[in-house]
Amino acid sequence: MTTTTATRPPPPGPRTPVTGSTRRREWGVVPGLGVAIPGRQSFTVWQRNCDVFLQLWKAEFIPPLLEPLIMFAALGLGLGTYVQLTGDVEYMEFLGPGVIAMFSMFAAVFEGLWGAYFRLDKHGTYEAILATPTRPEEITAGEILWAASRGAINAAMILLVMFALTPVFGLVSSPLAILAVPVAFLAGVSFGALGQAYVSQARSVSQLTYFFSLLVMPMFWFSGGFFPLDEFPAWASTAAWFTPLYHAVELNRALVTGNIGWGDMEHLAWLVLVMPPLVWLALWTMRRRIVG
Amino acid sequence: MPAIIRAAGLVRAFGDFRAVDGIDFEVQEGEVFGMLGPNGAGKTSTIRMISCVLPITAGELYVDGLDVRFHDREIKARLGVVSQEDSLDEDLSVAKNLAVYARYYGVPRAVGRARITEGLALMQLDDRRDARIDELSGGMKRRLVLARALMNDPRLLVLDEPTTGLDPQARHLVWRKVRLLRERGVTILLSTHYMDEAEHLCDRLMIMDHGRQLAAGTPRALIEQHAGRDVLEVHPTEAQRAQVLAYLTSAIGAGGRTDEIEDVIYAFGTNDEQARRVATIVGDPYRVHFRRANLEDVFLTLTGRALVE
Repeated sequence: MTTTTATRPPPPGPRTPVTGSTRRREWGVVPGLGVAIPGRQSFTVWQRNCDVFLQLWKAEFIPPLLEPLIMFAALGLGLGTYVQLTGDVEYMEFLGPGVIAMFSMFAAVFEGLWGAYFRLDKHGTYEAILATPTRPEEITAGEILWAASRGAINAAMILLVMFALTPVFGLVSSPLAILAVPVAFLAGVSFGALGQAYVSQARSVSQLTYFFSLLVMPMFWFSGGFFPLDEFPAWASTAAWFTPLYHAVELNRALVTGNIGWGDMEHLAWLVLVMPPLVWLALWTMRRRIVG
Repeated sequence: MPAIIRAAGLVRAFGDFRAVDGIDFEVQEGEVFGMLGPNGAGKTSTIRMISCVLPITAGELYVDGLDVRFHDREIKARLGVVSQEDSLDEDLSVAKNLAVYARYYGVPRAVGRARITEGLALMQLDDRRDARIDELSGGMKRRLVLARALMNDPRLLVLDEPTTGLDPQARHLVWRKVRLLRERGVTILLSTHYMDEAEHLCDRLMIMDHGRQLAAGTPRALIEQHAGRDVLEVHPTEAQRAQVLAYLTSAIGAGGRTDEIEDVIYAFGTNDEQARRVATIVGDPYRVHFRRANLEDVFLTLTGRALVE
């Protein structure tokens, strides 16, 4: 089969210009939203991460068991003996719910930040997935779901430790504590979404550290996990109110102590209501990074 | 029969820069179609637009009769893509890489298992089933990416520089696999900057440079039309250079032409006799080659530059 050969380059330029309105509908992108609604392929992306986790489960399971133990030993037994809280609450009892929230945040952030960055930029994992019938939004949604799942898995393991220690230290006083696992998932969606949005803008591994130092660490210290915020100036507790971790800590405290009331619905509502804008932000920024 | 790929006036711009600047081509069912050109010719952008990873800026692009702008999922389901970088999942074993990939395509588990066994056998990786990715050589990784691209039994296989960075032995093995797939009737689109790869594998190809299509046709037709049958390649010393050029310009006349790349002279439209004369001027037969023209010469004719710098 021979074909005619063009001896001169074809004339440049578009023949059928793609107008703005047509481009909006490309690849399922909803006009006005700027992103496609992620479909069930998100779960396939989630499954990939889950497979990797289960493959390494022996290595992955030890740190989430050890870390809270070390923290209970250091802060509960060490520092705690010097701390006198108002009311008749033991420091260990106060610390427990915070540890669940904080360490599940770490799990979600590590997965959603470093893990995701390497999959995006270094290992070409996203590129490979994108060649299959998967949209960029579904990669992001799968990553967020997975970050949230890691948070929930860690919460469950810390709870196990706390249940085990309860006969000695009286850490858990209500079976409602088990609900700290879904709380970790809810908060994990926020952390995962923030992580994806940040990763989409990051140009090097070292930039990821800023997310950690400027966002995660302040949350870690000032969300009421280690000490009550009552003694702080008003602006500090106001700032804390705007972080997902604060609401996760407060919810966990209500659940673990069993001292729960309608007022705690505020925290649940906060965690649920910030999800749509944060997830949208993640979908939108990551889509721009991947598709250009 | 409708073309599997049809591109018309296809453009991809990044800001003011046009990576693909208005190309037209068709790929027919069952053929191996090549895009030959240096780095920056627009090959990878074209491939990424075909595989619905990069949106088109202007023009038309249809894959299997579907518009790439609106049918990303359907098109991706019908394609197998081997990207330039290996992009294997380093966290998963060889077989698990394929299994996870089959799952992205929604391949039923039993079918997937059969395809994994078949794919690994086809790519001579059966004994590496449980190996980690970092235990594989470059050639093995490439073959595994090929096996991975076959997990959805694609209508069209897209290979972006399939042998770049491989040693000659690994390269020939990949070529053998690509020919094997062609014999099985798989339609293949491949990009390359190696003229021997294009010549070995492609039924038809287009030559690209700076986002434009310079020429298209079968390798033989392209060579005959643009470079002629034979080429005289001369490696003169600096002192002999002017003398060789003067002789060639006077000897070959209007029918031929000379080109220079670095210190090598290429003369088109020459004959045996002239080759012998040049050899006496140069004085060293190893620095004068009278040989068959190839696609590299076609590129030189069309652009005045070498394909691989």
